[in-house]
Amino acid sequence: MEKYRTAITIGLVGAAITLLFGGWSMILVGTVVGAITGLNYGQHSAKRGALDKAREVLLPALIGNIIMGLGGTLYTFVVVPLTGKSLNYDQPLKLGTGRVPLDSIAVFIIGLAAGIAIGVAVAALIAYLQGLPENVRRVAFIASLIVFLFGLPFFDQVTGLDWIAAIITIQIFILLALGLNIVVGYAGLLDLGYAAFFAIGAYTTGLLSSPQIDIYWNFWLVIWVAAAMAAFAGLVLGAPTLPLRGDYLAIVTLGFGEIIPVVFRNLISVKLVEPFTRICFVGCDPKVDVVRWCIYACQGALDLTAGEKGINPIGRPMIPFTDELLFSSRSYLPWYFLVFGLIVLSIFFIRRLRNSRIGRAWMAIREDELAASQMGIDPVKTKLLAFSMGATFSGFAGAFYGSYISAIFPSVFDFSVSVIILCMVILGGLGNMVGVIIGGILIMGTDRLFLPQIATLLKDFMRHSVLGNVSNPVLKDFLEISVDPNQMRLAIFGLVLVIMMVVRPEGLVPSEERRAELHEGEEEHGDAATEAAA
Amino acid sequence: MSMLEVQNIHTYYDNIHALKGISLNVNEGEIVTLIGANGAGKSTTLKTISGLTKPREGAVRLHGNPLHTLPAHKIVEQGIIMVPEGRRVFGVLTVSENLEMGAFARNDKQAIAQDLEKVYSLFPRLKERRNQLAGTLSGGEQQMLATGRGLMGRPRVLLLDEPSMGLAPVLVDLIFDTIQQLHKQGTTILLVEQNARMALQVADRGYVLQSGEIVLSDSAENLRANESVQKAYLGIS
Ligand SMILES: Nc1ncnc2c1ncn2[C@@H]1O[C@H](COP(=O)(O)OP(=O)(O)OP(=O)(O)O)[C@@H](O)[C@H]1O
Ligand SMILES: [Mg+2]
Repeated sequence: MEKYRTAITIGLVGAAITLLFGGWSMILVGTVVGAITGLNYGQHSAKRGALDKAREVLLPALIGNIIMGLGGTLYTFVVVPLTGKSLNYDQPLKLGTGRVPLDSIAVFIIGLAAGIAIGVAVAALIAYLQGLPENVRRVAFIASLIVFLFGLPFFDQVTGLDWIAAIITIQIFILLALGLNIVVGYAGLLDLGYAAFFAIGAYTTGLLSSPQIDIYWNFWLVIWVAAAMAAFAGLVLGAPTLPLRGDYLAIVTLGFGEIIPVVFRNLISVKLVEPFTRICFVGCDPKVDVVRWCIYACQGALDLTAGEKGINPIGRPMIPFTDELLFSSRSYLPWYFLVFGLIVLSIFFIRRLRNSRIGRAWMAIREDELAASQMGIDPVKTKLLAFSMGATFSGFAGAFYGSYISAIFPSVFDFSVSVIILCMVILGGLGNMVGVIIGGILIMGTDRLFLPQIATLLKDFMRHSVLGNVSNPVLKDFLEISVDPNQMRLAIFGLVLVIMMVVRPEGLVPSEERRAELHEGEEEHGDAATEAAA
Repeated sequence: MSMLEVQNIHTYYDNIHALKGISLNVNEGEIVTLIGANGAGKSTTLKTISGLTKPREGAVRLHGNPLHTLPAHKIVEQGIIMVPEGRRVFGVLTVSENLEMGAFARNDKQAIAQDLEKVYSLFPRLKERRNQLAGTLSGGEQQMLATGRGLMGRPRVLLLDEPSMGLAPVLVDLIFDTIQQLHKQGTTILLVEQNARMALQVADRGYVLQSGEIVLSDSAENLRANESVQKAYLGIS
């Protein structure tokens, strides 16, 4: 039994998701459950051969995926009837413009069978890869990840699962979390106002490619300008504050995060006039008109941000020789791949940074500032660089976000955004990019997919099965309006964070350094195993 | 003119007057030791030289050029390298990575590789454990690592703050042997020690510190023979 415990746990998490979405989601969740099971068992297996590892994972993967399938089964036969839908409603496949008629029972059967089969196959494959030599395994892992990530949006579209919008949001937040991880995870600086840099990136994009002040720059240029502006803002904020330590820095960044949206809210009447000298040139009557040096917006005050109304519409990316409307609000695919590309690019850069001199300097500063300065590391410069590098990536995210949503408002960038990004970094594991990505998927997935779905199901359930039987009007009102998981999201995140801090303060996937510290013996054992296999 | 000159420095921690006008000098190639009771200001003197605390008055000069106006990392670039009290190795890095960190301010790759070998031959124990995390080393091994890391910066002046603290007698001997070897190779050393007996054996000269002031300075030989020094620091009555 002990042997299957991990698989059962993973299966249960999967079941929690399929319980909410049923049908096609079982294939997706099955794949993920399989992959995680394969990773886990492949790593901890005492067997060294690739085939042995694969064989060993089959049974646990089957058990995990059957549990996962139970979630979907419950959805189809319990949740759906309870919410008032008929047991078999239409759920056609969408193939381009055509539709293949299917009903939900058929979808359930296909989803269940395919989910379990694919899940087990993926688990075996992943376990098998773990038995291969390091370099082959690496390439194979990346290849399978790419296949999955490329297939995902098409699967989503064909089956009508409709997760893509949520997935793009998740990706944006992953990009942000990767940037914040540089500041908090690598350099050890607590930044509570990270959303400010996100806002600066988005507003730079808004200003430079919208009718707001009649500038329409190309997105591919603007995104770099936005990143540069965010980096610059990082420098400007960091220069006076980074000599501060710990708590003080957190407070200053907190303040900065509050100020920036207010600034954007109020930049609605801007005019720059040189205020000191009042110079009059020949020809004017100094008594009548005092000539002032006008620097900017001389014809009349400019409205830069439109305050609460926000900037709208913002220009979209275009790719030469393709349809001008490739990036439109109707089609998600190009956006998905664009932000996917941005993430890959960011991971590449951040890895380089981390393994460079500057990355080591960050680590040294985080560990022991005094000792670091005795190595000849300039603490202020090093922290400043972390701050502005972190800001750069939120500049990318901001530019993408502005262009993708096509409208930006100051209220989008408030404190809760900074906190959510910080939660992702802490939940996943400070200083580890894989952990941060997982943290991002979990938190934003909960926020954008699971909670809204729970809310919808709960509402239908109330309407169909509960409200009719409640006679007390006050209770009825309460059930109808106030039982809304969406409104509890911040409370839920707070709770998760508190639990994490108590149960597993190093995060779900701690950085190599911390893991190495905690599991020294195992690590060596693992290396020996892979060497022997090679 | 001396290589390193400390001129009448006053250092404060907020309103604690830790150094009350310390003056000392170290000549090129010398080993000079600072001895004194706990809290006398030995570490503070070293920290002030290396720029971690700033003197409110007075000056520190290297070959006549002021150091006290520079930030700590610039002072390291001048070749003044401190091995701080309490080791302070980077626990999450391996031994070899720690040593590489010691050469952070340098970019002469080949010479760095040579120095790495030198440190390993000085402390073979470190070579054995080069892939072990520094945080898991024993206290003595960490002290060797801290010393080795200091050497990786190619010090012109090496400031050692209690290199023998908490070590077994064999290791104390090893550390002092190392100090003598470095001395033979021409490194200038300012040594702070609780173990005054050993310190006065390897040093050329010494200063005795008492509550932030220098009360005695002489050749090591004379200090060893000095009655009050014997009483207070050498445990001879
Ligand atoms: N960070 C600090 N803040 C406040 N006071 C300090 C600080 N560091 C040292 N002091 C004080 O300055 C005085 C000198 O301390 P210092 O560390 O230089 O002594 P020391 O001679 O190195 O002693 P030991 O032999 O115990 O290491 C002491 O009275 C100590 O309490
Ligand atoms: Mg001391």
